[in-house]
Amino acid sequence: MNNYPAIVVIAPLLGALFAGVAAWVEDRATYPIALASLGIAAAAAVNDLITVMISGPIQYNMAGWAPPMGIEYRIDGLNALVLVLITGIAFLNLVASYKNVQQETPDRSGSFYVMYLLFVVGLVGVVSTGDLFNLYVLIEITSLSSYTMIALGDKDRGAIASLNYIFIGVIGASFYLLGVGYIYIKTGSLNMADVAAMIPAMTESSTLLVAFILCIIGVWIKMALFPLHVWLPNAYAFAPVGFARIVAPLMTKVMVYVMVRLMVSVFGYDYIFTTLSLSDGVVWMGTIAILAGGIIALSQKNLKKMMTYIIVCEIGYMVGGAWLGNELGMTGAILHIVNDALMTFALFLAVGNMVYKLDRVDITDLQGLFAKMPWTMGGFVIAAFSIVGVPPTCGFFSKWYLILGAFEAGAYHFAAALLVSSLICAVLFFKVFEVCFFEPMSEGHGHGDDHGHGHDSHGEHAAVAIEEAPVASVITLAVVSVSLIVVGLYSGTIVDRIILPFLN
Amino acid sequence: MKLVGFIIVCLTGGLLLYGTGELPAWGDPNSPASTHLSDDYITLALEQTEAPNLVTAVLADYRGFDTMFETAVVFCAGLACFLLLRDFRPKKDHYYRHVPTGVMLHVKNEARTVRTGREFEDMDREWVPSDTIIKTVCRILIPFIQIYALYVVAHGDFSPGGGFQGGVIFGSSLILLAISYNLKTLVKRVTEKFLGVFSSLGVLVYVGIGAIAMALGGNFLDYGKYAPIFGEHHIRALGMLGVEIGVGMAVTAVMVIIYINIVSEGRHDEGL
Repeated sequence: MNNYPAIVVIAPLLGALFAGVAAWVEDRATYPIALASLGIAAAAAVNDLITVMISGPIQYNMAGWAPPMGIEYRIDGLNALVLVLITGIAFLNLVASYKNVQQETPDRSGSFYVMYLLFVVGLVGVVSTGDLFNLYVLIEITSLSSYTMIALGDKDRGAIASLNYIFIGVIGASFYLLGVGYIYIKTGSLNMADVAAMIPAMTESSTLLVAFILCIIGVWIKMALFPLHVWLPNAYAFAPVGFARIVAPLMTKVMVYVMVRLMVSVFGYDYIFTTLSLSDGVVWMGTIAILAGGIIALSQKNLKKMMTYIIVCEIGYMVGGAWLGNELGMTGAILHIVNDALMTFALFLAVGNMVYKLDRVDITDLQGLFAKMPWTMGGFVIAAFSIVGVPPTCGFFSKWYLILGAFEAGAYHFAAALLVSSLICAVLFFKVFEVCFFEPMSEGHGHGDDHGHGHDSHGEHAAVAIEEAPVASVITLAVVSVSLIVVGLYSGTIVDRIILPFLN
Repeated sequence: MKLVGFIIVCLTGGLLLYGTGELPAWGDPNSPASTHLSDDYITLALEQTEAPNLVTAVLADYRGFDTMFETAVVFCAGLACFLLLRDFRPKKDHYYRHVPTGVMLHVKNEARTVRTGREFEDMDREWVPSDTIIKTVCRILIPFIQIYALYVVAHGDFSPGGGFQGGVIFGSSLILLAISYNLKTLVKRVTEKFLGVFSSLGVLVYVGIGAIAMALGGNFLDYGKYAPIFGEHHIRALGMLGVEIGVGMAVTAVMVIIYINIVSEGRHDEGL
C-alpha cells in the first residue's frame, strides 16, 4: 500500500500536535520535532514525484472510501512538483530562520513552530486534494495560521496589517466556498474528477457560470491579483521574518496552483476558452497587474515593501500565462510557479538576513552592504538576476515560455508587458545595488578593523568588518541561489518529464 | 469610494440572483444534490459503517478527513489566541480588599506588597460581590452539565450529538465556573498548561487513530483495519466514537483557552 500521498500531509500535522504538547512540557523539543516532521514530509513528496514520473498519477482514497463517496487525493505531475517545492522550502526555511525566530518571538517560539507547521499542513493539503470542499477546509487552516503569524510581526503595524488581510482574505475564501456551493447544487458532487465529468453537459447553465466566476474571483483575491492585491504588501512586509520567508514564496503560488487546477481539472479548457472565451480579458488583467506591480515597486523606499510589490507583478505573469489558452502559456505559468517560489524565497532569505543585522531595511539603510554582508548580497544578486530574467537563472526560462505563448496567442501586449517588467526590475535592483555597493557606509555602522583583511586599500575607508547573518541562513541562501541556476539549466527536463505529461 | 463599494455590492448581488435562475425548486427530490450521492449514503451508510446516525457516518467516516481538519482549525484558533493575546509581563498594579471592613486598596507597585490571607483578599478591578445563591446554584449545576456533555459526546454515533457539541457544552460548564466564582478559581483548577496539552492531545487522538490505521495496513483513517484488535462488530462506529472523543477534548480545551485569554487580556488573573 502506497501511503506516501497521505504522509506528506500527516507528517507535519502530527509534528504540529506533538510540538503542541512539547511546547508546554519541554519548549526546546519543538524545533527538532518541527524539523523532523518537515524532513519526513519532504522525503515523501520527493517519493511521490518519482513515482508519478515513473508510473503516472497516484490515486489515494481517504478512509478507504472510493470517490465520489469519500475524499480522494490525486497526485499527478503538477501537484507532485508543487508538493516538493512546498515541503523543500518549508524545511530549508526552518533551518535558516532558527535565529530569527529566537530574535523576534523569544518567549513563544514553541507555539510559533506549531503554527508554522499548521501553515505548511494547510498548503500541502490544498495542493494534494482532489476534493473541492476539502480544499476549502485546508485554505481555512493556511489562512488562519497566516493571520496569526502576521499579527505576531511588527509591534505597531502587524496587527492592523493582519486585520486588513483577515477582512479581505475571508471575503476571498467565502467567494470560493459559495462557488463550491453552487457547483454542489448543480452537480451533487464535490469530487473534482466527478464534477469535471459532468460539466460538458451543462455548459449553458447560468448557475455553473456564477459558480465559476465566484471560485475564480475568490482565488484571485487570495493570490493578490491586481487590483485585489491591497492586503498583500503590508501583510508580508510586517510579518515576522521567519514567517515572511515562507508565506511570500508559497501562499500566492499555491493559490495560482489552485487556479490552474480549477482550470485544467475541474472546469476544463473547452468551457473556459471556447464557451466563455474569457482569454482576452484576463490576459489584459495580467498585463495590467504586471505593469502596475512593477511601477509601484519602483516607487517604494523600503526594501521589504519593494519585494512585496514584485510578488504582485509576478502574479500577473502567471495569471496571464495560464489564461493565454495555449500549451506554451500554461507551461510557462506552471514553470513560473516553481521558479518564482524559489526566486522569492531567495530574495526574502537575503532580506531576512539584512533585517537580522540592520533591523530597518529602507533602501538608504543599505549603504556599504556588499562589504559588510558579502555572502548575503551574493545570494541577493543571483535572485535579482533571476527575477530580471538573466540566463541561465531559472527566471529566464519561464519568461521565455510565457513570451512564446503570448506570441502564439497573438497577445503582443502581454509579451510587451513581460519585457517592460524585466526592464523595470533591472532598474529597481540596480538602484539597490548602487546604494549597497558604491555609497559609503553610514556613520556608526562601520567598525574600523585594520588587521589583515586586504580590503582596506580603496580610499580612506577603513576595511569593514564582515558581519554576516547566522551561518545556517547564509548556507541556506547559498543552496537556494545555486538551485536557481540548477533549476534553470534543467528547465527542459522539468517541462518534458513533468509539465507536458500533466497537460496532455 | 462609497460609490465604488455600492456598485460592487450591486454587481455581486446581481450575479448571485442570476445564478439562482436555474437552481432546482425548494425541496425538489429530483435535484442533483438529492439524487447523485445522497441515495448511496442513505441506502449504504448503515450497512457499511454500522452507525445508525447517518449524519455522523458521513461526517466522521466518509468525509472524516474533512472533520479532522475542522478540528485542526479549532486547535489553530486556540493557539492563535494564546500566541497573540497571552501577556507574560508582570502586572503594574494590584487590588486588595480588607475583609473585615470591605475597604479596597489599590497598590501601584509591580511586586505584591500586601500579604493575602485572613485579613486581605485579592480582588479584581471589576469586582462584583460574590452572591451565595448564584455560586451555590452553579456549583450544583456544573457537574450535571458536564455529565450531559459526556453523554452528548458518547452518543454522537447513535443519535444527534458528537464531539463538537459535547465539547462546547463541557467548555461552557467550565466558563460558568469562571463567571459564577471568578477567573482565578477556574485557572487554579484548570491550569493553562493542562489546557494547552489537552487541546493538542484531542486532535492527536483523531490523527493518531488515522495514522495507526495506516500502520495496520489500511488507508489513513480506515477504521475497519482495527477489526483484528477490537473485533468486527461495529468497528467503524467504534472508530467514530474514538475520533468524537478526540474532537470533544480539543473543543473543550480551546473554548476555555479562548475565554480566558480574551476576558483577562492575556493576563490569566482577572476578568469577567
